[in-house]
Amino acid sequence: MTNNAVKVTKETKNKIRVEFERTSAWKKFKLKYLSLNFLGMAIFKIFRLVLLIGISYVILYPFFTKIASSFMSPTDFVDVTVKLIPKAPTLNTYKQIIIENHYFQALFNTLMISLLCGVIQTFICCVIGYGFAKYRFKGSKILFLLVVLTMIVPHQTIRYSMFMKFRYFDIGYFNFGILKLFGDLDGISLVNTFIPLIVLSVFGLAFKNGLYIFMMRQFFKNVPDELEESAYIDGSGTFRTFIQIILPLSVPMMITIFLFAFSWQWTDNFYTSTSMFFPGRNEILLSKIVQIPKTLDTNYAGGNQFSDAIRNTCGLLIIAPLIVVYLFCQKFLVQGIERSGITG
Amino acid sequence: MNNTKAALKQTAPKKKKRKIVSLDKKKARSGWFFVAPFVIGLLIIYLPIVLDSIVLTFNSTKTVRGQGVQLTFIGLDNYKTALLDDPNFVQTLTSGLRQLVIDIPAIVIFSLFIAVLLNQKMVGRAAFRAIFFIPVILSTGLIAEIDASNSLNQYMSGNTGIETGENIGSSASDIISAADVSILFSSMSVGSGLVQTITDLVNDVYNIINRSGVQMLIFLAGLQSIDPAIYESCSIDGATSWETFWKITFPMISPMILVNTIYTVIDSFTSADNTVMNFINNYYNSTSMVVSSAMAWIYFIIVFAIVAVVAGVLSAYIFYQRRD
Repeated sequence: MTNNAVKVTKETKNKIRVEFERTSAWKKFKLKYLSLNFLGMAIFKIFRLVLLIGISYVILYPFFTKIASSFMSPTDFVDVTVKLIPKAPTLNTYKQIIIENHYFQALFNTLMISLLCGVIQTFICCVIGYGFAKYRFKGSKILFLLVVLTMIVPHQTIRYSMFMKFRYFDIGYFNFGILKLFGDLDGISLVNTFIPLIVLSVFGLAFKNGLYIFMMRQFFKNVPDELEESAYIDGSGTFRTFIQIILPLSVPMMITIFLFAFSWQWTDNFYTSTSMFFPGRNEILLSKIVQIPKTLDTNYAGGNQFSDAIRNTCGLLIIAPLIVVYLFCQKFLVQGIERSGITG
Repeated sequence: MNNTKAALKQTAPKKKKRKIVSLDKKKARSGWFFVAPFVIGLLIIYLPIVLDSIVLTFNSTKTVRGQGVQLTFIGLDNYKTALLDDPNFVQTLTSGLRQLVIDIPAIVIFSLFIAVLLNQKMVGRAAFRAIFFIPVILSTGLIAEIDASNSLNQYMSGNTGIETGENIGSSASDIISAADVSILFSSMSVGSGLVQTITDLVNDVYNIINRSGVQMLIFLAGLQSIDPAIYESCSIDGATSWETFWKITFPMISPMILVNTIYTVIDSFTSADNTVMNFINNYYNSTSMVVSSAMAWIYFIIVFAIVAVVAGVLSAYIFYQRRD
């Protein structure tokens, strides 16, 4: 740097004036942009942008095709010239699915169950995670290992006995149960109701709850202890501290977990399937509306593609409310995860 | 512990009826209270289910009206049926495990790569992040199931379009034509097995992207927790970003690699394109629930063994930063 041209003059008592020769714009430009370093950076940035846009395209493309095909009428599937934009757009597919597959009823039922499970799981996992993060007691490490165990034994592996548990619900083991002592041999059937899912949620055993507990624990570990200590000194009890200090603090993380719990329950096809907790045909849930409406069930050259398009339209209708939720919550998703600072 | 208790009893004056509880004990009590839901659920719901499931695989069941399910002990017969009598299970299992071994590194490496990219400052980062996390929310369960049996995507992205539906010979959903990749690699003479693996991975890129959402989030969280001061001192010392990645980012993120490896394996159990789990589910619905339980346990134990070995090997190389 050559700033020998700096001139300092005293203007008034409290003010000085510094004059120096400015580097010319061209020189600045040359230094900044005409270097190998900048070229490398530029190439890297373009490469990165192209790559990210490409992968985004891969992610979004199926949605485009699904949306496009959902508006196609049967004739579009046999038309050679139709690729993405339908020539005879129709809303009939949507209409028939909504009417014949009882979409709104399914939507309402699934909304109820997802909201219930989401809220309960979020709260329970928050409580359990807090207990693991902030309190040391005998056996807490073994208990946490058991949490990890519930996470790694997939429910698919134990599905039969899980079904049996709720089909013949009884507190106890196979040949010994509390209800059996009172002579009720069959136990209570809880299938075809929301109760099994709610029971699992209340005890923090539902789908991927181990992961949520783990995330909450990591989050609370990063919350400084001084916060609670100062609350204790001010005379607040354990539970008041938890509700008034800790819960408001963990809202971003809780929204993240709620988003997971809600949307995974929403698109769930395991617990709500006919071979699991909802064997009856009367319970209309979103997992059961993926089928071809009778009026659209036709047999013609493009039939396969058409029935696939209908199934995709069902999928679109299922995820439409989720997309809205995601648009509102995705900011929290990244924030919550970032703040948790999960570190092994 | 006991000594202090006894000492307390001796010294405590008898007229005081209220027990003196130390702070540690008090805290332990509230700790138990907080984890109580899990403990209760574990004892009355989860452990019975798991135990039942294991016991079941050694029994045959018969549902009797009015008496619930009756069990008859048949020893290892269910396992024998699964492993020896069923013609397809072992074959499905081996191919599924091979697929798992290929998929896990691909998913972990891909998600790490994308997480590093998404962690950099750039235009439209928020939008990219929003797009990349869409699969976490939207491509699970039902949607994945619909996608798995969906021929439409393939027809639509094919060269000939949806109209023919005849171009099944080479799956048209390939992002880059697999033929190009195999031509590229065949001149390198690296063995046809490797070429086949890589072409499969390239063809499977949509699937890999869809399955690496949560892993990306976990890696991003890990990257965020690295102290920026370390990077700063590195750049002052003149390290290039390539060196910085391998000397700083990679060791610091290594615990996350273990977490993600395990998560990927667990997640693969529930993914819709898991051939072994699909086979077991079909078996569950069509043939025998008990034998399918035995199959599921065999699969789980093998995968668990693989994970344990991988975790054991990885944990020797993992770098844990000491935070004092």
